[in-house]
Amino acid sequence: MIVLEHASRWYGQVIGINDVSGTIGPGITALLGPNGAGKSTMMKLITGQLRPTTGKVEVFGEAPFGNSAVYRRLGYCPESESSYDDMTGRQMVTMLAWMAGLPGAQIDKRVADMIDHVGMTYAADRKIGGYSKGMRQRIKIAQGIIHDPDVLLLDEPLNGLDPMGRREVAQVLHGLAEQGKCVIVSSHILYEVEQMTSNILLMHRGRLMAQGDIYRIRGLIDSHPHRIAITSTQARLLAQILISRPYVISARLDAIDDRKLEIETRQPDMFYSEFPSIVDSAPGMRVERLYSPDNNLESVFKYLVEA
Amino acid sequence: MIDLFLLKNAMRDMTRPKKLVAALILVAGPALLTLLLKTFRPSGAFSPGAVYDVMSEKVILGFVMVILSVVFCTSVVAQEVEDKTIVYILTRPVPRYRILTVKFLPALFVTLGTVWVSLIAAAVAAYGFTGIGHSHLGRDLQIAPVGVMAYSCCFLLLATLLNRPLIYGLLYAFGWETWVPNMPGSFQKLSLMAYLRVLAPHATPDPEDVDLTQAIQGITQDEISTRMAWIVLITVTIVAFGAALAFFSRREYVPRDAE
Repeated sequence: MIVLEHASRWYGQVIGINDVSGTIGPGITALLGPNGAGKSTMMKLITGQLRPTTGKVEVFGEAPFGNSAVYRRLGYCPESESSYDDMTGRQMVTMLAWMAGLPGAQIDKRVADMIDHVGMTYAADRKIGGYSKGMRQRIKIAQGIIHDPDVLLLDEPLNGLDPMGRREVAQVLHGLAEQGKCVIVSSHILYEVEQMTSNILLMHRGRLMAQGDIYRIRGLIDSHPHRIAITSTQARLLAQILISRPYVISARLDAIDDRKLEIETRQPDMFYSEFPSIVDSAPGMRVERLYSPDNNLESVFKYLVEA
Repeated sequence: MIDLFLLKNAMRDMTRPKKLVAALILVAGPALLTLLLKTFRPSGAFSPGAVYDVMSEKVILGFVMVILSVVFCTSVVAQEVEDKTIVYILTRPVPRYRILTVKFLPALFVTLGTVWVSLIAAAVAAYGFTGIGHSHLGRDLQIAPVGVMAYSCCFLLLATLLNRPLIYGLLYAFGWETWVPNMPGSFQKLSLMAYLRVLAPHATPDPEDVDLTQAIQGITQDEISTRMAWIVLITVTIVAFGAALAFFSRREYVPRDAE
């Protein structure tokens, strides 16, 4: 459905995406990368808001820029929170349904159905200006799917949604994917994507770094030494206990604050499952803070780039 | 049907209270000024024809019309770009030229409507309801659409080309269109107002009231024929509108900060 051939896009001296090639077909595909990776640029190229500086972008075999034939089959949910604030949710979706070319007789029912589909019936007749971030997100999704597109692109669609909302949106997207539609979702949060699909496009600094199964990427990530920072009342004792464990590679006490400890492990899952019992077994030991400096996409990409 | 729906929405956008209040102030200004002159000048010293002509030429056609065109016509595109809602309409299967045309029409109608109301109000304030037939109002009402079209199309073009069209539009209105029509020689031909004044001439001030600058202008300014004025204004309108449609169809409207 979507083909990119050596597509590059520059904003003057700044790179958007660089020499990206690939194809995207039916099902959910996640566009994953840290902020500034080029996800939004890629979405804008596919939705025909931008033209590639070099290379080619095709949707249904045609260049998408200003192409009505492509837009008839394409839905887009932008990242920006901006909406028609002085309209109600229903008015906005209705206006965009008209513009999508839906037959007039079907519009009211279709709008009501889609608004219901995203769980916004209760607030559909309120002005968008008074909506929360999550409500705006749902209305944006409703306008994106109002004309039943074959390709749907959603730029960071889970932003601002509560866990229940995320699950509902994920269900909607799964439903579309099951109908054979192509759904592309961008995100910079790995676990968010894992819940939706295993098919990912990994982007970093404008380049497509990997394409394929998320579990393969996960494997790479997990084999990379994973740092975990701990603040404890007995950090030295904790370091002694942890270094004796086979899955811990190193343990280092902070030079300034002797309550702080940082360990490295290749099996973070094992560490997290055993850690509570380790703490329980040491009398008087209290853990004040436990976090992983590596638990973000930026460090994952840093590792992948270095690897 | 899509066009009608878009037109209705664009009309609603143009008639937002904030915009209408600004337009109302501009519309009422000349009429109130005329009433003030009528009230405070001795009855013999007040000439309805002279006051209306000055209000019509210098204030309404020379200022109000240009400002309204700038405000309403630059917002056709700029509002959607600033609000970042343009992405919704540009990713729908409606050709861009149709979107721009349909969004432009209400701006044109509202501008023309307010200029007409302003002219009528100034004429009524100067002549009263009964004496209105003696004024140049009829001719001004006929010529106003020509000026509104020319200016509106130019500002629409500006809106499709630039990111902050309102600022450049106001600079053009207050700078270029204020000074260039009064410059000697052929310079005035670079201003749309000069051509409009040829189509809607108003009474020249009494020779005794003419200052030195006006006297020099009268001697040194090249004359513009009525035919030339029509040709220039119509050409500018068509070229500017066509160029606006072409640019809007080809330009990428993506805010850089969105990336």
